[in-house]
Amino acid sequence: MVLDRKIAYVNLSDGSCEIRKIPMEWRRKFLGGRGINMHLLSKSYASIPDPFSPDNPLIFGAGLLTGIPGFGSRMNITSRSPESGHLGDSNMGGEFGAELVKAGLSHLVITGKSKKPVYLLIKDGKIDFCDARKLKGLDTIETQKRIRTRRGGHKVQVACIGPAGENLVRFSSIRSGMKSAAGRTGMGAVMGSKNLKAVAVRGSLDIAISKPDEYCKTYLRTLAGLMKTKWVQALGKQGTPVLFRYSNALGFLSVRNNQLVTIGDKGPLLEAEALEPYSTGMIACFGCPVHCRHRFSMEKGKYKGVRGEGPEYASIGSLGTKLGNLDLENIMYATQLCNLYGLDTISTGSYIAWAMELYQRGIIDKRTTKRSLKWGDGKTIVELIDQIAHRRGFGDILAEGSFAREIFGQASRRYLLEVKDFPIEMTDERLPKSFALGMATSTRGACHMRSRPSIDAVGLPEAVLKKMYGGPVSDSLSSYSGKARMVWWHELMNAVSDSLGICRFQSVFSSPHGLGYNHFSRLIALATGLHLTPAEIKRTGERVYTLERLMITGEGISRSEDTLPERYFEEPIPEGPSKGEVVSREEFSRMLDEYYRLHGWDDEGIPRNKTLKRLGLSDEN
Amino acid sequence: MRIKVNKEKCSGCRLCETMCSLFHLGAVNTEKSAVRIEKDDLSTSMNSPFICRQCKNMKCLEGEKAASEAERKKFIWAGQRSSKCPFQALNLFGGKSYHCDLCGGTPQCVKVCTTGALVMSRR
Repeated sequence: MVLDRKIAYVNLSDGSCEIRKIPMEWRRKFLGGRGINMHLLSKSYASIPDPFSPDNPLIFGAGLLTGIPGFGSRMNITSRSPESGHLGDSNMGGEFGAELVKAGLSHLVITGKSKKPVYLLIKDGKIDFCDARKLKGLDTIETQKRIRTRRGGHKVQVACIGPAGENLVRFSSIRSGMKSAAGRTGMGAVMGSKNLKAVAVRGSLDIAISKPDEYCKTYLRTLAGLMKTKWVQALGKQGTPVLFRYSNALGFLSVRNNQLVTIGDKGPLLEAEALEPYSTGMIACFGCPVHCRHRFSMEKGKYKGVRGEGPEYASIGSLGTKLGNLDLENIMYATQLCNLYGLDTISTGSYIAWAMELYQRGIIDKRTTKRSLKWGDGKTIVELIDQIAHRRGFGDILAEGSFAREIFGQASRRYLLEVKDFPIEMTDERLPKSFALGMATSTRGACHMRSRPSIDAVGLPEAVLKKMYGGPVSDSLSSYSGKARMVWWHELMNAVSDSLGICRFQSVFSSPHGLGYNHFSRLIALATGLHLTPAEIKRTGERVYTLERLMITGEGISRSEDTLPERYFEEPIPEGPSKGEVVSREEFSRMLDEYYRLHGWDDEGIPRNKTLKRLGLSDEN
Repeated sequence: MRIKVNKEKCSGCRLCETMCSLFHLGAVNTEKSAVRIEKDDLSTSMNSPFICRQCKNMKCLEGEKAASEAERKKFIWAGQRSSKCPFQALNLFGGKSYHCDLCGGTPQCVKVCTTGALVMSRR
């Protein structure tokens, strides 16, 4: 049965492993995936301030509905982040989560530190520790190939780190397949600190469904409805790069470290259509009907012979416009390099952009960088990626991410655009005020996946928005009115979809026609036999989000950290369609007040006791 | 009637495998599916679906006594038939082979294939 999946506690220091049942109470309160991960992390979060401590748990968690016919089949990897020092959590697609479930497990809690490089091999619930000394230094594709060759072939799914994770680059990713990644918050560096090169899994167990006939019928009906939406159809043809046009045309793109927000009529160089000559088809994660990922091959030119998957909108922005780089082929190559080395493309681009602006302003110079840092210099970008992953030269400083502020000095701080010590991504949020608030309140620091109400950019009528969000919401992207409600609503929805293993692109994210709580309730009941009303499931989202908040407020984060880079408050956008847009401190403060009220947190953003009691969180943390 | 494969269109989502096993067995197990996706996911990212072609001349039954119509339409077959299929289209797992019975007329794999890699064909 779906609910029979177990949790494995692995200690790399003493080589012990214990497999336990997951209590039904946890499923009812946290579902799975991100939800149960947070419950597990909260037990030790406050007592382990050092992300590189062997005691810092690295937690893998497949969604409750991962592995069955569904809407994506995703998982979360959670730990204390070496990149921000705070809450670390990253969601990953691909096949790994589903394979873990097929092996009878849904969660892994990995603690300790191995004396020698090691990888875990999981086969139908049995866990072995394997020598990884010969895998040391290998890139993420070669690592997977070697493990597959030795351990049972192409059906073995591997989540691994590359040189970046081994070298404790603070924004290293954990990678699986050609492109899937738990990219954000440096989970790869946690893995590296444990001397854990990879987790390999092969599963062949049945997953019994509570009501198979009804589940099939409901699934097919829900699928048919979803596939009719324009949003899903566009993603299936062009992938996430379809979003580039909107951010460029409306003016909320990060260009040159957010000194600008659009590339204007040069947009077509990087819009979705520009990828078409390289794309050889669309592919999907396990259990996903949308297939939003390009398969690409570069047949000629400087990067002839390079092939891979992607690139995504986030990487095009982060390694492209954010660096003033409009050379699509270079962006594709840089993305592929990050994937091979196990670097997060978003953070890699963000820290390079920061360095480029510091160089532009003379805050750092060749004495530090050993080279000139010019906007749009693709050769430099590629070389810096190599240096970062191997901690060579200037790359050794950049590998420290936001911690490099100590090296670059006080004057550098203003130009690292970050929230809660985690860098702003491929967009600029001065125009879309809902996006701005979501960046400021995200529990893992600046993040477009914790809430990002991209429906705000669609321009739906206010009557529709009111019905959807349960209160008045302005239909203007630049308005502050009702946007706190929007952010709060999406934070809950996304916490639920991450706990179920459902992809953003199939839940209510950018389209109001995505799956919502009613769908979730029915799918959960038919698949697992667990009966939760739509209201109870929404409350699960509240519970997960407030638990995350509880962890970070416990270490002193509160209202003053729920803020935005100074540039957003003080520098109106200089040109383009969103010219003049800036975030008003007063209006932002009012949004925060409403946002806290909706969550049941006090004026400082600390969860109130009565909220904790209502959510059954009084004993957590 | 048979299921025709256009492998260029296959996204590799494995929804076909999950639905095939769920429909027939009441449990999801991509190993116990009559359709199987072979992936070259660390190199070309190409996906290749394999499924019974409903051959008139069933090489998979060669050497056996004439199988009944009911036997021919079964989902779970003896494992040795798998090695006789010239198209490697009989998925083998745990000593059994999994044979496409077209779900009795409305194949579930085709219903969940959103790319058109699996389509119904009269022949």
